[in-house]
Amino acid sequence: MTAAPRHGSTLTGTAQLLRLVLRRDRVRMVIWVVAVVSLVALSAASVVGLYDTAESLASYANLVRDNAAMIVQSGPGHGLDDPTVGAVLINEMSIWSVIAVALMSIFMVTRHTRTEEETGRSELVRAAPVGRHAAATAAMTGVLIANVAMAVGVTISLIVFDLPVAGSIAFGGALIGAGMMFASVALVAGQVASSARAANGSAAAVLGVAFALRAAGDVGDGRLSWLSPIGWAQAVRAYADERWWVLLLPVVASIGLIVTADSLTSRRDLGAGLIAQRPGPAHAGPRLSSAVGLAARLHRGSIIGWSTGLAAVGFFYGVVAVEAESLLTDNPEMADFFAQLGEGTLTDAFVATAALMLGLVASGYTVSAVLRLRGEETDGRVESVLSAPVARRTWMGGHLLVALVGSVLVIGAGGLAMGLGFALASGDAGELLRVLGATVTMVPAMLVLGGLAAALFGVLPRWALVAWAGLAVAAVVGLLAELIGLPNWMRDISPFTHLPALPAAPFEVLPLVMLTAVAAALAAIGLAGLQRRDLT
Amino acid sequence: MSQAISISNLVKTFGSTRALDGLDLEVSTGEVHGFLGPNGAGKTVTIRILLGLLRADSGHAVLLDGDPWVDAVELHRRLAYVPGDVNLWPNLSGGEVIDLLSRLRGGVDAARRDELIERLVLDPRKKCRTYSKGNRQKVALVAALSSHVELLVLDEPTSGLDPLMESVFQEFILEAKAEGRTVLLSSHILAEVEKLCDRVTIIRQGRTVQRGTLAELRHLTRTSITAGTERPVEGLDTLAGVHDVGVDDGHVSFDVDGAELDGAVRHLTQFGIRSLVSQPPTLEELFLRHYGDDVVVGDDDAVDAP
Repeated sequence: MTAAPRHGSTLTGTAQLLRLVLRRDRVRMVIWVVAVVSLVALSAASVVGLYDTAESLASYANLVRDNAAMIVQSGPGHGLDDPTVGAVLINEMSIWSVIAVALMSIFMVTRHTRTEEETGRSELVRAAPVGRHAAATAAMTGVLIANVAMAVGVTISLIVFDLPVAGSIAFGGALIGAGMMFASVALVAGQVASSARAANGSAAAVLGVAFALRAAGDVGDGRLSWLSPIGWAQAVRAYADERWWVLLLPVVASIGLIVTADSLTSRRDLGAGLIAQRPGPAHAGPRLSSAVGLAARLHRGSIIGWSTGLAAVGFFYGVVAVEAESLLTDNPEMADFFAQLGEGTLTDAFVATAALMLGLVASGYTVSAVLRLRGEETDGRVESVLSAPVARRTWMGGHLLVALVGSVLVIGAGGLAMGLGFALASGDAGELLRVLGATVTMVPAMLVLGGLAAALFGVLPRWALVAWAGLAVAAVVGLLAELIGLPNWMRDISPFTHLPALPAAPFEVLPLVMLTAVAAALAAIGLAGLQRRDLT
Repeated sequence: MSQAISISNLVKTFGSTRALDGLDLEVSTGEVHGFLGPNGAGKTVTIRILLGLLRADSGHAVLLDGDPWVDAVELHRRLAYVPGDVNLWPNLSGGEVIDLLSRLRGGVDAARRDELIERLVLDPRKKCRTYSKGNRQKVALVAALSSHVELLVLDEPTSGLDPLMESVFQEFILEAKAEGRTVLLSSHILAEVEKLCDRVTIIRQGRTVQRGTLAELRHLTRTSITAGTERPVEGLDTLAGVHDVGVDDGHVSFDVDGAELDGAVRHLTQFGIRSLVSQPPTLEELFLRHYGDDVVVGDDDAVDAP
């Protein structure tokens, strides 16, 4: 009988792999950390400046505290009964900073575990004297370093703006907890899912469910929020009588997930998930006979995945939107506030905001769909297609066409579900089309972001990933422009700024035409660029 | 004889790297042409220029009487390509990829496809994600060989195949040749090229260093011989073209230039041959010897006129 391997041996090589992780991610990590820390700092500066009197704090609290629609978007509003600047700030920025740290952690873990296996690079590594757990440990440690760096930056910048030290540390800790929690989720997803793409998708779906659970909990009696890691981050109650023990929840849950991932690892092969690959057909179906047909097939899975996700979020928003209206009667101050805006009812304003949210999320599909072109090129699959009698513009045009149709389907699914939720909750079927219209209006702005990706791919392929920065800018403008007080010219950079905020604002056709024209021009630049460059 | 491929003085740079530095290549219609060179010599870059994936900086390239960059789509109707590193869509099955690529070229010959799949022992129902390198190469080979095209461009097509499948592959190429198709076969395995090719072009560091028939290149190749003899061998080192003679207890070993093989073996027979082992020359040895440390790249005397 052979001796059991010492446990330490499965970790051999972790230090070297960690250095590889940090070397490969040094730019990405810095971008994530700098972006989130500076947005937190901008938010803090703005909130500290805006809410400098007891009256302004009280009126903010009145607006937000009992409004279901606001609670869904931001959180339970701990500390708003006796509002402080810190409590206002947490209510404004905790949701998006937790989501940002979660996304960073999910992508990073998958990138260094499942993607490495899929590309075959980990075979090279595993053949060296490297333990079975070294890659996952190195990835998780790298994520921990990124999370800590982000949390330290956030905490320091909050303290710099004179916010209480204890609350600033508590919020930093909550960010690390949420980051590691979703990193662990991604680690488990990487064991179960059948591909890296599916691992990212299912971990992101868990994030979506966590958002929905806490939203439902925060609007209701709060119990559901305890099932959500996002809810935990807010239950730490930074600046509102901190509950430090809550920070232990993500620690315990992460350890549980890591142990689960570990036991799953030994039940699967390198490069395969627990969900086995089913055999495919021996012959291609009739639609798989052209470049466009291939593109449609390649995009099919992600269109279905994104549509399902958008539909779930949309349905939830639709149900909640009805709540927004009921508050008009019992909170006159808020009714006044929205009357000042002079644009429709409270419900309409909420629907417009929800439609913008859906549009931003759906743009994630649009950009990733266009960037698939670059993936096909760098992964060496394009030469099989282009060595057949297929013109470059046919190949690229096929992918762009599918990305266009997919974008309409994805946002349409979100809008339909939101309209359905609204109609069911309000009992007024007529609302369905109005809500659907408001969301589908987002399409031209989504296409501009897709067009940017196409132009970069055609002209500056090495910089194609910069297209994500376009979406990041649009998200910051769309969600934080008011909070951090962006000047108008900066808001105008985002294509979403130019859309009519249906149904709260009247419909205008000109901006939609203009945005579509810009998107088409960008796509044409991309097509022309591809026509004359080398394919790598 | 008309030319399927005609390349002269082709230059391609990537930044400061000169991948192709005045490369020449002539492939006649109907021949199987070996395209040889060590790793990084520029074989794949040349092929990618021929496929219109890369644009040459200068020089002249004609493929099937067309311009590989401008007329790419039209030319691709008449050729099929197997990349050296076959990458396929992970979530499509092998059979789907074969059908797709064949249809892009204008249609599937179902009988030919099934025959090729059977001879290569390929399971077309597996997802490409689960295929080994050799199996991915089989998928690309089936797609390329099941279409009736004039020209096959094969970039190190057997690098992932086992010896049994290599011989199946060689049958395919001989069949294609019998059907009158032109084949450009890039390789760094001299033995494979010797079995299949009418003529070869050898490149190194982006330039053509040798071209001609294998017989014409024979003087470049050196065979290693080990023989056991009844009497000790004498006088071998005085023969022309014999190198590195070593005698050891009734055995003699030496290298001999291809052109002088006959004389050397004749000499051996005088001493009563009991055993004889000859090892064919390898491309690696050829390169080591002719283009080793102090190399005169593009030695004009060595380049045979086409």
